[in-house]
This record gives sequence, structure tokens and C-alpha cells, in this order.
Amino acid sequence: MTELEAARYSMAFSLGFHIIFAAIGMTMPFFMSIAHYKYLKTKNSEYLDLTKMWMKGVAVLFAVGAVSGTVLSFELGLLWPGFMKYAGPIIGMPFSWEGTAFFLEAVAIGLFLYGWDRMHPWVHWAAGLVVGVSGFASGIFVVAANSWMNSPQGFEIVDGVITSVDPIKAMFNPAWLHQSMHMQVAALQAVGFGVAGIHAYFLLKARKTEINKKAFIIAMLIGSGSSLVQPLIGHFAAQRVAVLQPAKLAAMEGHYETSTRAPLYIGGIPNDEKEVMEYGIPIPGALSFLAFNDIDAEVIGLDQFPKEERPPTAVVHISFQIMVMIGSLLALVSTLFFYFLFIKKNIPSLFYKLAIVTSPLGFIAIEAGWITTEVGRQPWIIYEFMKVGEALTPVAGMQYHFFLFLFLYLGLGFLTFKLLKRMVNHYV
Amino acid sequence: MYDASVFVLLFFVAASIVLYVVLGGADYGAGIIELLPIRNSEIRRKQREIVNRAMGPVWEANHMWLVIIVVILFMGFPVIFQNVMVSLHIPIVAVLIGIVARGSVFTFRHYEVELTPTRAKAYTISFGLSSLWTSFWLGVTAGSLFRGLISTQSADFYTLYVAPWFGLFPLSLGFFTTSIFSFLAAIFLVGESQDIEMKKYFVARAWKTNLFVIGTGAVVFLSASIEGYELMNNFFKNPLAVLAFILANISFFVLWFKLQKRRSFYTRLIAAAQVSFILIGWFAMHWPNALKLDGIYLSFFNSTAPEPVLNQLIIALLLGSCFIFPSLFFLIRTFKMEKKES
Ligand code: HDD
Ligand code: HEM
Ligand code: HEM
Repeated sequence: MTELEAARYSMAFSLGFHIIFAAIGMTMPFFMSIAHYKYLKTKNSEYLDLTKMWMKGVAVLFAVGAVSGTVLSFELGLLWPGFMKYAGPIIGMPFSWEGTAFFLEAVAIGLFLYGWDRMHPWVHWAAGLVVGVSGFASGIFVVAANSWMNSPQGFEIVDGVITSVDPIKAMFNPAWLHQSMHMQVAALQAVGFGVAGIHAYFLLKARKTEINKKAFIIAMLIGSGSSLVQPLIGHFAAQRVAVLQPAKLAAMEGHYETSTRAPLYIGGIPNDEKEVMEYGIPIPGALSFLAFNDIDAEVIGLDQFPKEERPPTAVVHISFQIMVMIGSLLALVSTLFFYFLFIKKNIPSLFYKLAIVTSPLGFIAIEAGWITTEVGRQPWIIYEFMKVGEALTPVAGMQYHFFLFLFLYLGLGFLTFKLLKRMVNHYV
Repeated sequence: MYDASVFVLLFFVAASIVLYVVLGGADYGAGIIELLPIRNSEIRRKQREIVNRAMGPVWEANHMWLVIIVVILFMGFPVIFQNVMVSLHIPIVAVLIGIVARGSVFTFRHYEVELTPTRAKAYTISFGLSSLWTSFWLGVTAGSLFRGLISTQSADFYTLYVAPWFGLFPLSLGFFTTSIFSFLAAIFLVGESQDIEMKKYFVARAWKTNLFVIGTGAVVFLSASIEGYELMNNFFKNPLAVLAFILANISFFVLWFKLQKRRSFYTRLIAAAQVSFILIGWFAMHWPNALKLDGIYLSFFNSTAPEPVLNQLIIALLLGSCFIFPSLFFLIRTFKMEKKES
């Protein structure tokens, strides 16, 4: 492992760890707010139990998200000082808004977790909603910072010095909209299916059936609703990538040769040596159509880029395929769910079994999607402005940094998992 | 216009540091105090419950000041941020490890459903050790900034990344930080306890940690003079620093007088003021510098981002404050001010 690789793996691992907790922290508060609202309206104590049950899990997961997020805000500078020296002033804008949003979120979660009986019930309910709204907003802001790395704008560089900076323009860069929409919907989807799976498990075990049923329906409604729109947003994202980062799109699709009526491969393994796709099933013209709504459009291939400016094709292609496969599958499962819920008005137990199986898929898709986005940007840290190598810290021994945080987070992840398991067994 | 922007930003940085040290510091201190030996297991249990109740609602918000400091630094003063992150990589990583461990262990202990005695003990010890560890390294990091050993002109790992912080002064400032945090926590916890026995217990803790503060404080000055670091000199040249020092000492006496009566509101206020005075003295002494790099002081005024960035940042901070301060006030009012009735 070279210094650069170690730093990249460190960053990837920290982010990949954080995003799991962040996705939960951004969306679970809404689940709680719905259950809490139902309780305040109907006074059915099962909804109260459900709210408190979810709340305890969120408190634990939220803390892990908060500490791993703090590590990230330092790691940007610890690992990539060359990047932050230039980019800090430019993308500081979304980060300062993110900071504000987190602050509100942290205050609101304190009020919500400990404020039962200490304030008017509806004020308390609103505090819970503020947790969700500010978490959601902060997610949008961080993703805006990331999208700037993919489509930088809002600054000028003269002789290596940044001259005029427009932080607002930088924040609302061309990749901002599709990335944040896609991410936020992904979080709803992943957490919806994740939670539904847990409650499905207990429904099959016939434990606290009434509560678990309510929980299952709330989670599934959110998960399924978002899963039906996600492919559309994903398609929109791909079209933006085709324009903004043609090398990334080419890597996603294993598209080596610039061509019109470009094929879309189902499966397949890209071979960078021979520059061909192996074992894939090509659908002629489909890529041109997906990228530009025209089966005869020209799609730029990797051949337009010098070898040292191409992302590692196999990683990007495979992770993209995993995401799209999961996206299609979840959309299918969601359709089934709506069919059973609204038309059959009865959910068969086989569907609960299916829900257990699909439970982790959303999170896998989030990880796969981020790998697509981030590895697809390589070798650039700021697309077409700065390469990762130039941003790397001069501090030697990044391997130690990587293994330190690897073990720290693996340990923390393990302890969190064990505790949550005990909690679920105790409360659910 | 430009200078004014820098002033405003520095005010936000200083205010965030003070708030982090006072509020976040007390949270670290609570962990350290729980580490001190107690024979009576009933008191230990009560102490744990008081700390849970006191920190639970606020620790995440208290912790956000650190993130705000980082964001202001990298957006407004990127050169300073970059140099600190490179030269002090090791102590900062140590701080981060501590932050991760402490925040999660505290929450785990609080929400544990099967709190067996062994588990409670394991959680409490890890919570205490990680609090101690983090505050120590925070102090070390702060103590390295102006020592003059931060250098970029060497090929040698030790000179570049170890020498800046590995020395008597930063290490003793680390110990000073741990004692001042535990002192703050003891004072704050007096007001959090409802029964008289626990109040007495925390007053006794406050006395003990106060002795640590005085002892480690003396060591800080001593080690500065051994290292030939001009702390004393700079200090007495600066009237504001001297004034802050005097105020900090006067408030000690007032504090003890009030503590005799166990008046928690005033003692908290005074302890907070006292720590703020120490920090103000520290800022005044180094004003307007951020660190000493390759033997030369690096001023905040010479290392800013372009002006439009500063102005945008100020707008964001001001607007943010309109949300943050009222909500923070509401939080504190909800959990910290209605105790008297109960
Ligand atoms: C539950 C998660 C999930 C699911 C089911 C999907 N995605 Fe996705 N995708 C993400 C989660 C995600 C993500 C993790 O949230 C990413 C990473 C960066 C980002 O902004 O969103 C992402 C990135 C991402 C990108 C790259 C954006 C960029 O680099 O600017 C494209 C083109 C797509 N996705 C396309 C799709 C398509 C066509 C899907 C079809 C169903 C799909 N995604 C399902
Ligand atoms: C939380 C979701 C995210 C995940 C899972 C993620 C994933 C990754 C991965 C896998 C890499 C390594 C790419 C490689 O070197 O091959 C990476 C790099 C990086 N990411 Fe992200 N990313 C996320 C969000 C963000 C955000 C919001 C930022 C904000 C600025 C960001 C900044 C960076 C930086 C600076 C690097 C290092 C430079 C590079 O390798 O290009 N990431 N990320
Ligand atoms: C470079 C990237 C990132 C940085 C520097 C970062 C920073 C932070 C920080 C400092 C916190 C702690 C806030 C607190 O104490 O309450 C945090 C938590 C959080 N982050 Fe991140 N973050 C990054 C990536 C992301 C991404 C990509 C998302 C989602 C799209 C996200 C969503 C959240 C959320 C919702 C929380 C709240 C805590 C929780 O729910 O567990 N973050 N992050």
C-alpha cells in the first residue's frame, strides 16, 4: 500500500462508515415523527411505544454518526491538506451551513430524547421534526460540497493562486441537484427497507404483532414510495454525468470506444488491458438512449482520455451495476408491496420473508453508488483541476492512519451492532 | 472593511473556543471525575446517574463548537488550517480517537439494556479513560502552537511531526487541561445533584481537583521557563493578559466563598468566567497570531481566504447564530434551569 493508496482507503473507509449512520440519522426522525403524530392524534399507546422504541435506537446510532462525522471534518485536512488549502474557502460555504444545521439537529435531538413531560406535547413533537428537517438539510449541504469536487465552478485560478471566489455559485454547481436528490431519496429507501426488514422478522415470530405491523407499514410506505422514484432520479443523474464527467460515465458502462448507437452492457467485466468488455450482454443503442434520449447519439468512450486520466474501470462498472440492480429490484418489491397493501389488502407472510432478505440492500446500494461516484472521479480530487496525488499530506505513515481507524471503526461497529441487538431483543 | 471582517471572524473563533472549553470541557471532566476512586458503590451509582442526566441532553450540542471552529478555520484561514493539520497530525489524530471512543461509550452506557455490574464498570472506565485521553491531547495540541518548534523545513520525520508537540510544555499543558476540565465538571455537577450528600461529595471533588489545577498550572509555568519558551515574558508584557490572570485568581476566592454555601448558579457562572479569563489571557498574549511556523509568527490577518469568502462566512455565521442561540437557550432552559422547582 503506497502512502496515497493508504490515504485514499482511509478516506473511503471513514466515509463509508459514516454514511450508514448519517443515512439513518437523516431519515429515522421522520419515521418517529409519523408514529409520534399518530400517537398524539389517536392516543393509541402502541404508537407511543413504537416512537420510544425507535427513539432509543436512533439515540445510539446518532451518537456514532456524530463522532464519525467529527473525524471526517478533520480528516479532510489531515489527509488532503493540499486540497483543503484551495478548496476550503470555496466549499466552506456548504460546510458552514451544514455546521449550522447539525447544531440545530444536536439541540433538537437533546430536546426530543430527554424532553418527554418537560414541554408541551406538540412542541416536543416539533423538536423531533426539527431533528429530521435539519439532518436532511445538512445532508444536502455536504453532498453539495462533494458535487463541487465533481463539477467545480465559482472560482478562478491565475498562476496557481485562487483569485475571485463565489461561494454561492460553487455551492450550486451543476452536479448539486442530481446528487443531493439522489442521495436523500437513497437514504429514505435504505432506511425504509432496513427498518421494515427488522419488524418483518418479529412479525414472523409473532412478537408484539400490533406494534410491529404498524412499524412495518410506516417503514415500508416510506421505503417503497422512494424506491419507485429513485430509478427516475438515477436516470437523471446518469444523464448529468454524461455531460459533466464523460470519463466517469464511460467507466460506469465499460464503454471504451467512442461510438454512436452505443451499447449498454448487462453484467460483464471490463478488461482494461485489452480495452474490451468481457462476458457482458450488449443492448445496442441503449446507452446512447439512456445518456442522451437518442439511440444514435455519440457517447464519448475511455479512448478519448489518456491512460493516466482514466478511472479504474472495473471497480466503477461493477459497483454501478450493483446499485442499478438493487434499484430495479427494490422498485419491483415496492410495486408488490403496494399491490398487496392496496389491492389485495392483505400482506402474505411470504412477503415478510422477502422483506427480511431485501433489508440490507438499500445500504449496499448507497455504498456502491458512492464508490461509483468517488472512484469514477479518479484520478482527480477536483475534477480537471487537481489530482489526488497533489492534495496528499506530506506526513509519512498513512498506512498507520488507515489501520488505526480501520480497527477503531470495526471495533465500534461491532459494539454498536451487539448493543443494538440487545436493545432490539429487549424492546421489540 | 477587510480588517473588520477578520475581527468578526476571530470573535466567532474565540467565542467558540471559550464555549467549547467551558461546556465541552465540563463534559470531559465528568468522565475524568468518574474515574477517581470511590469506595462507596452507592455514591458511584448515583454519580453515574447524575452524569447521565446532566450530559445526556447537551453533549452533542456542546461538541458542535469544535466542528464550528474547524469549519471557520478551513474556510476563513486555510493556510493556518493546513499547517496545523500537517504539523500536528499526531496529537490531532489522538484527539479524534478519544472523541470517537468517548462519545460512543457514553451513549452506549446510557442506553444499555443489560447493565450488569461488569458492563457498567467497563463502560465507566472506558468513558473515563477516553475523556482523560482526549482532554490531555487537546491541551498538548494547544500547547504546541506557539512553542516555535513547528517547522516545515526538514526531511526528518521527528523534527517535522513529533518535535512540535513532544516536549515538557505541551505535555504539561495537557495535564493542566485535564485538571481544569475536571474542576469545571465538579463545580457543574454540584448543581446537578439533588441530594445533599452528593452535593457535598462534588464539593469535595471540586476542592481536590482545584489542587490539581494549581499544581499543574505551576508546572506549566515551570516547564515553559525550563524550555526557554517566553511565556512569562510575553505574559507580563501584555496588560490584558495580566488583567485576565488577576481576574481569574480573584474569582477563585469568590468561588470558594460561594461554594461554601453551595450556591450552584453563581459558582457555575464564576467557574465558567474563570476559565474564560484564562483563555482570554491566552488569546491576548498571542494576539493576533495563530501559530509560530518556522520561527516566525503567523498572524490571522496575513493568512485569510479572499475577502468575498470572509463576508459570506460571516453572513452564514450570523444567520446561523439566529437559529443556534435561541434554540440553545431553549435547550438550557428546559434542562438546566427548572431544577429549583423539583
Ligand atoms: C439506495 C440507494 C441507491 C439506489 C437504489 C440507486 N442509487 Fe444511484 N447512487 C446512490 C444510491 C442509490 C448514492 C449512494 O446516493 C449516490 C452516490 C453519490 C450520489 O450522489 O448518489 C449514487 C450515484 C449515482 C450516479 C452517479 C452520480 C454522480 O456521480 O454524479 C448515477 C449515474 C446513479 N447513481 C444512477 C442510478 C440509477 C440509474 C439507479 C437505478 C435504479 C440508481 N442509481 C439506484
Ligand atoms: C458519505 C458518503 C461518501 C462516501 C461513501 C464516499 C466514498 C469515497 C471513496 C470510496 C473514496 C475513494 C476514491 C478513490 O480514491 O478511489 C472517496 C474519496 C474522497 N471523498 Fe468521498 N465519499 C462520500 C462523500 C464525500 C463527501 C460529502 C465529500 C465532501 C467533500 C467527500 C470527499 C472526498 C475526498 C476529499 C476524497 C479523497 C480524494 C479522492 O480519492 O478523490 N466524499 N470517497
Ligand atoms: C466529507 C464529508 C462529511 C463531513 C465532513 C461530515 C461531517 C459531519 C459532522 C461534523 C457530524 C457531526 C454532527 C453532530 O455532532 O451532530 C456529522 C453528522 C452527520 N452527517 Fe456527516 N459529514 C460528511 C458526510 C456526510 C454525508 C455524505 C451525509 C449524508 C448525505 C452526512 C450526513 C450526516 C448526518 C445526517 C449527521 C447527523 C448525525 C447522525 O445522524 O448520525 N454526512 N457529519
